[in-house]
Amino acid sequence: MSELALLYNFLAIGGLLFALGLIGFLVRRNMIVMFLCAEMMLQGISLSLVGFGRYHNDWGGQMLVIFIITVAACEAGIALALILMLARRAGNLDTAAWQDLREDGQPAFLDRQVPEERLEDRVWPHLTPAGSEPPRDPERELHRPRV
Amino acid sequence: MDDTIRNCLVLIPALPLAAAGVAALFGSKLLRGYSHLPVVLALIGSFACSVAVLREVASRQTVGTDGGVEEVVSLWTWAEVQQAYYLEPNPPAVEAAEAGWRNFRIEIVLRADALTAVMLSMVTFVSSLVAIYASGYMAGDRGYWRFFAYIGLFVFSMTMLVSVSNFVLLFVFWEAVGVCSYLLIGFWYQKPEAAAAGKKAFLVNRIGDFAFTAALFLIWCTYGTLNYHDSLADGTTDVAELARVQSLPPGESPNSGESGDGKQLIRGVLGKSRIAANGYATGPLWKETNRETNKLSIATAICLLLLLGACGKSAQFPLHVWLPDAMEGPTPVSALIHAATMVTAGVYMVARCTPLFAVSPAAQLIVAVIGGFTALMAGLIALTQFDLKRVLAYSTISQLGYMFLALGAGTFAGVTGGMYHLFTHAFFKALLFLGAGSVMHAMGGVIDMRQFGGLRRLMPWTYVTFFVGCLALSGVVPFAGFWSKDAVLASVHEKVHAIDHELEHRRGTHPGDSPAAAGPLAAWSESDLVRSRAIYQWLYYGAVFTAFLTAFYTFRALALTFHGAERIPAQAGHHAHESPPVMLAPLAVLAACSVVVGVACLIPPNLGANRIAELLSQTPSLAAGPIVLTKVVPEFHLSVAGVGTVAALAGIGLALFLYLGPTSEARYARRLFDMDGAQRWTDPQWVAGLERVGWIGASTRFLRRVGVGWAVVLVGYALGAVALVLAVPLVVAGFLTPYRLSRDKFYFDELYGALIVWPLRLAAAVLAWIDRWIVDGLVDLVGRIPPAIGTLMRPLQMGLVQFYALAMVLGMLILVATRLLWSG
Repeated sequence: MSELALLYNFLAIGGLLFALGLIGFLVRRNMIVMFLCAEMMLQGISLSLVGFGRYHNDWGGQMLVIFIITVAACEAGIALALILMLARRAGNLDTAAWQDLREDGQPAFLDRQVPEERLEDRVWPHLTPAGSEPPRDPERELHRPRV
Repeated sequence: MDDTIRNCLVLIPALPLAAAGVAALFGSKLLRGYSHLPVVLALIGSFACSVAVLREVASRQTVGTDGGVEEVVSLWTWAEVQQAYYLEPNPPAVEAAEAGWRNFRIEIVLRADALTAVMLSMVTFVSSLVAIYASGYMAGDRGYWRFFAYIGLFVFSMTMLVSVSNFVLLFVFWEAVGVCSYLLIGFWYQKPEAAAAGKKAFLVNRIGDFAFTAALFLIWCTYGTLNYHDSLADGTTDVAELARVQSLPPGESPNSGESGDGKQLIRGVLGKSRIAANGYATGPLWKETNRETNKLSIATAICLLLLLGACGKSAQFPLHVWLPDAMEGPTPVSALIHAATMVTAGVYMVARCTPLFAVSPAAQLIVAVIGGFTALMAGLIALTQFDLKRVLAYSTISQLGYMFLALGAGTFAGVTGGMYHLFTHAFFKALLFLGAGSVMHAMGGVIDMRQFGGLRRLMPWTYVTFFVGCLALSGVVPFAGFWSKDAVLASVHEKVHAIDHELEHRRGTHPGDSPAAAGPLAAWSESDLVRSRAIYQWLYYGAVFTAFLTAFYTFRALALTFHGAERIPAQAGHHAHESPPVMLAPLAVLAACSVVVGVACLIPPNLGANRIAELLSQTPSLAAGPIVLTKVVPEFHLSVAGVGTVAALAGIGLALFLYLGPTSEARYARRLFDMDGAQRWTDPQWVAGLERVGWIGASTRFLRRVGVGWAVVLVGYALGAVALVLAVPLVVAGFLTPYRLSRDKFYFDELYGALIVWPLRLAAAVLAWIDRWIVDGLVDLVGRIPPAIGTLMRPLQMGLVQFYALAMVLGMLILVATRLLWSG
């Protein structure tokens, strides 16, 4: 295929990766997954850069990609360290646990609560009882030798 | 010789200023109880220098038209604005040769002439005595050092006021003495009455100052200079140089080849050359030609405005209301400022501006009327006051009225008589005030005469000196007050005679055959002459009546304070004893002066002549021009002196009769003047009950028996009708009896309060409301906009990381979209 078409393919996949990463970053609440999405954004960019490098026959594209990968690795180290600390503090990996840096007077973002179980919902199915009930001796039941 | 005058002139104000600085800087921590030392020493030094100046001036003066001494000392230039005002030619005030652009130049310039020397000597003498007295009176006060700092500042301002030779500087020090008066009246600032009195004094003075400023503007626009003295345009005041410039033939430039007219002669407003040429403006105030000519000449306008300024400072009607309230200040302050020095500044100013007043006889008449009216009014008010210091305050107002009356007579005798009265009045009024202070000190701050009495055994020296002061104030021979009051009365009397003389000449009925002298009265119209003669005659009668009143209320105060049963109020505590020597010594000195000064100034055999008049007669601003054609030295009229003495003795006699011993007659007089029981006459029942009185009943019964009963009934009805007619005025008079009018100061304070103070307070309240709610509201409204914007923007920060990321993405999208859509 022509160089241009190749470039289009590169850019398409790169853009797809970026878009997925962006949407994932914005939507997910798990800190590690958010970080993974950020890395995916970076990979999408890298792919676009490689494609441009190939198109313009310039090694600069790939060179920058090497830089990006390196930087992404360093950033991963730092980010995971931070996530580790935050997770230890909160006990879970939810970003919604860390929203205290908001303005005075703003309400916190709360998850929709699961409604309390109502007493009348506590209904379990019952099987029809089979067999006959043995005779019961209340006096003997009162003094059971082995409990 | 010149150096003596120059150095003394500079030292006289500089010493008190330095002493005030020392007392202010070191008084509170270092000097404390000795804060009076620098001020007293400086004042004694100033007095010595004043006497030196006086001797120098007196020795160098010679009799003759140009014998006056006028030394002008220029220290430095304060302000200079080149080409400030274009002076139109307006002969005789502005000759054609001197019209043109004038520079506005104010130099710190002091002068030494007879008037200044007399004032300086009097001011420094009284100030040093009062300072010595105050070191005893104010001992132990928390603000001791502050008091003496203010006194030093005040004496500096007052001596500069009488020494400067420029109207602007006069105004500066006029204000300065007003400020010092405010500071000293409100000395005990924690007392609300004292603070209010200080504020009232300053504000009322300010009204006068406004008029004074307007007069200054008019003088500048009319004469192109504000100096008293002649000078050259670059400030030279050297007599030889001035003579050289003046001797040049007209048309020749005074500069010998130099460019510019730095050597142009600037004739001072009260300068020798202007007086000699009688160069005073008499034209109308406005130059409208299509309107009918207005009668207000510019000279009259200037003089009336100056008079209003003097009324403010010297407490004349209508600006007299501050002086009685100013008695809230310490008594040495009252003695110094409100008896001898500050209130005489107005009189000094009018005397200094005599050439200006001489061109406007209408203004002189108004000066005399205001003076005479104020004297009478204050005398009437002083009759019923209970506060000893208030009596003396109204007495001061009354005597200042005398001085203005004399100045308003418009003759040379009048001007010198007024100044002579100022000179002697300072002594005995200060004496009386210091005596009152001695009493107040002993009575623990109580000065209400109803609460103490019979103090002459408790405080013998105070009694003796106060008695001497009373005799001097009442004008009894041979005390000082007699001679000066006689000079005042004689000058008014002489004025009436002069007008009579002129009228006789005009009508041809003069007994002699000499033609009418070309006096200043020659220019008056016949109706003016007749009218002013009547006014001056009535002023003379009023002045004699005021002399009677003066003697009466003075001796009333003496009798109430020192005679009768000895009563000491509870506030006196352990204070009730004679004053310490440091307070008695100034009293003794002033008493000696009150006795001796009058006689010492006599120049026999003419008992009407006095040394002060002789000295002042050669003051250059007084010794030339139209005023010199009037009598220089008043003759001693036995009739005037006799009338004055009779009035004084009658007043003394009546006061002693009423107030010595049991005061039943005084109480009867009070009831009479308070129209107690006048209401009965409006009650028809009571009128009908008159029949029960013995002789009325007997005569009624007799008339009835004779058969003329109907006449009795008619008389009864007539009385009833008269009662009904009188009902309304008597009911009004129930509130406004003469006694109450006098006791409540003719309700001037209430009148001013309703007319001026209340509307101003209302306006101030309205404006305060506008300022608080509308102006501040607008500012607050503008101030509330940023928080409102903030409230809109605040929900953007909600704490969720993803929201921030979303915001970033959205922003980036907007950027990209903008770039794509609008580039190109």
